[in-house]
Amino acid sequence: MIEQAPALIVVIPLISALFITIIGLYQPRVSWALTIVTFALSSIFAFICLKHVVTVGPISYMFGNWPAPFGIEYAIDHLNALIVLMISIVAFLVAIFSKHDIAKELGDKIPHFYSLFTLLVTGLLGITLTGDAFNLYVLLEISALTSYALLALSGGRAYIATFNYLIMGTIGACFYLLGVGYLLINTGSLNMADIAVIISNNTYSYTVLAAFLFIMIGMWTKMALFPLHSWLPNAYTYAPTSTSCLLAPLMTKVSVYVMLRMMTSVFNYDYIFNVLQWQSVIVTLAVIAILAGSVLALKQDNLKKMLTYLIVAEIGYMVGGAWLGNANGFTGASYHIIADGFMTLCLFLAIGCIIYKVGDASLSSMKGIFTKMPMTMLGFLIGAFSMIGIPPTCGFFSKWYLISGAYEAASWHFLIALLISSLVNAVLFFRIIEVGYFQALPSEEPNHHHPKIKRDEAPISMLIPLLTTAGLLIGIGLYTADIVTYLIQPFIKNFL
Amino acid sequence: MILGFDIICLSLILLCAVLALCIRDLMGSVIVFGAYSFLMCVVWACNGAIDVAFTEATVGAGVGTVFLVSTIYSTTRMDTFKKNRLLKQLFMFVVVCVVGALLLKTVTDLPQWGDANSPANTHLSSYYIENSIDQTHVPNVVTSVLADYRGFDTMFETCVVFVAFIGIFALLRIRKSKSKKAATNQPTTELTLPPHQEVDSLIIKTASHLMVPFMQLFALYVVAHGHYSPGGGFQGGVILGASLILLAVSYNFKKALSILSEKKIILLVSLGVLIYAGIGVICFFLGGNFLDYSVLHKILPATDPIMARSHAMLGVEIGVALTVMVSMYGIYLSLSSNGRFDKGL
Repeated sequence: MIEQAPALIVVIPLISALFITIIGLYQPRVSWALTIVTFALSSIFAFICLKHVVTVGPISYMFGNWPAPFGIEYAIDHLNALIVLMISIVAFLVAIFSKHDIAKELGDKIPHFYSLFTLLVTGLLGITLTGDAFNLYVLLEISALTSYALLALSGGRAYIATFNYLIMGTIGACFYLLGVGYLLINTGSLNMADIAVIISNNTYSYTVLAAFLFIMIGMWTKMALFPLHSWLPNAYTYAPTSTSCLLAPLMTKVSVYVMLRMMTSVFNYDYIFNVLQWQSVIVTLAVIAILAGSVLALKQDNLKKMLTYLIVAEIGYMVGGAWLGNANGFTGASYHIIADGFMTLCLFLAIGCIIYKVGDASLSSMKGIFTKMPMTMLGFLIGAFSMIGIPPTCGFFSKWYLISGAYEAASWHFLIALLISSLVNAVLFFRIIEVGYFQALPSEEPNHHHPKIKRDEAPISMLIPLLTTAGLLIGIGLYTADIVTYLIQPFIKNFL
Repeated sequence: MILGFDIICLSLILLCAVLALCIRDLMGSVIVFGAYSFLMCVVWACNGAIDVAFTEATVGAGVGTVFLVSTIYSTTRMDTFKKNRLLKQLFMFVVVCVVGALLLKTVTDLPQWGDANSPANTHLSSYYIENSIDQTHVPNVVTSVLADYRGFDTMFETCVVFVAFIGIFALLRIRKSKSKKAATNQPTTELTLPPHQEVDSLIIKTASHLMVPFMQLFALYVVAHGHYSPGGGFQGGVILGASLILLAVSYNFKKALSILSEKKIILLVSLGVLIYAGIGVICFFLGGNFLDYSVLHKILPATDPIMARSHAMLGVEIGVALTVMVSMYGIYLSLSSNGRFDKGL
């Protein structure tokens, strides 16, 4: 069964989504347990793959047993093995977290939520594993369609926000498909490795240029790079809490991964950085994204919305890092996919706990929150420290690599933007700490006596995933050196 | 390809696209959009992509139009959107021009139409054409590529249909108790719905009764004969779905639910994808890779590995057809009853 692991990572969630739908008709409550078991299994198989990649080498799995360019191939190397593991762990944790929240927010739509949830993650896992440019598009469609449904499920303002996302997301996917179409015209192939070999002899044609441009613009739309970001904050803010906990860490990060994959496995270093020479423009775009995201985040009063703008800024980190064109920048970008995935998850889970107990996530309702929900805020603090970049959390190390990459490439504006963004994050999170720790609850002030604020912690099924994620942030930070030497550097060596 | 014919078709397509955007009456817009799809289907057919043309005709011009009409039925008919501001219009104009210019610029670089030496015709396609019969016993290369060489993609395409249905169902479905509450809170939503009429026309009922068996027979033929001629699970499934929709339209909603109840719809939609994925999983247990149909000869009587591929493709197509048929019906019921599943178009 071990040699089937690459397929099982995707097939198990797919089949379980179907069973959740069927069993959900009769036993809606079982769907939660089924989802958890599914992603536990996926994580195990993802770990097996990762271990195999590190000890033996990249895996290539042929669907239908057809040889590579003729059939569809799953090509697992160091980078995507790591990201697949991250995706399945995140899905596992969010699945545990979602139990109470979904029962409260969605009521009788539980089985539909979980079957869409499982399919969404299936899509993201497939995007990450595949070595076929068109297969990637099909799974992009699955993850996009499910995310539209999941985001709109809370109703009200979510409808129009999701509709905007639907339009932008569809345009992004169309651009990607157009790009793949051009690649097919130019090479006659859909397999990434095969395309890469053919276009390396054919660097200067317009078709390849158009393909590259369309794929990049499509992915930038999907990942919400700054001028194309307008769909993201509202869509994520008005969605059900569990949906935004799942989408915020994964969707944009997977799009960044696709960008990295396209840059490394389809097009090559020489083409991107020596023939096209767009790096200064793109890095400047990333700088604008970082600054705009940080400034807009400062303006927000709602914590959930503030975090969504921080995602916009973080996208700038990864795009900028990847386009610096040196080993450190690329290491930073790849490492930051993992780090940012977990830290966004940590913060969104914490906000989810607060929304579950307090009802909303505005800054003013944070008063006395540290006394009321100490465990939640412990998780929140670790996430916030990682976002600011305080060692030993993993946020520090990704920033470290990005800054050294920026220094090497002498792109000072990127370096300064990274530092400013850290400062802004510090201001943002210390503001929350200030309100939550030092300001008492408003109702108690007129009476001039301070009865103890009752401790009212979120349920245990929400706290466990939150604190696990917080632990992971520190754990990943401590093992940074191993992750970089054994997983990221072997991947980058082939590219540079 | 006949150049003059293509020019006429493409300019009509352009005209339809612009018209569909301009017409304020959404029903008119939908009809023009249907014409657009039909013209697209002609263009595909001219290019020799018969399977694509078939899909476009059934999905785009057929069921797609029905969905849009039923959406209009349960929402509003007139376009009430405000015009965009000048700045936004200008911005969109620039974006469209830039993309268009880029597309035009690449035209010079593209191979000639029908160029036998272009990469698209020499690399993978020739392999499929040369080996399809030997490796799969399926004369229609489109089917063998779709269901076997790239069967993994098709499984997820079926899944997309499944997701579309579950998504629409989950978003729209309103339970009875809640809908009463919603009606008392917001009486306006009830008023926008046109008064419900029982369709009771003998002519329509008889005509659809006469047509449905032939439609379904044709659809089954399309599914089963996909190996030898254009067609397959998607097209056949859509035609089957269309025949059910025709019955639902000509009778009332009660009759529509008596054909397939809500529960059965969800069950069958999942079952279709499950058949597809299940065949793949059986291949696991027989020692092959996922969707490696050739190992199925161990359990299929009187087949060799190659014939097993052909048989498995039929099984897979049946799964696709089931999901597509029931999803189409389910989406139609959700849209036309506005998720209430009590009365509708």
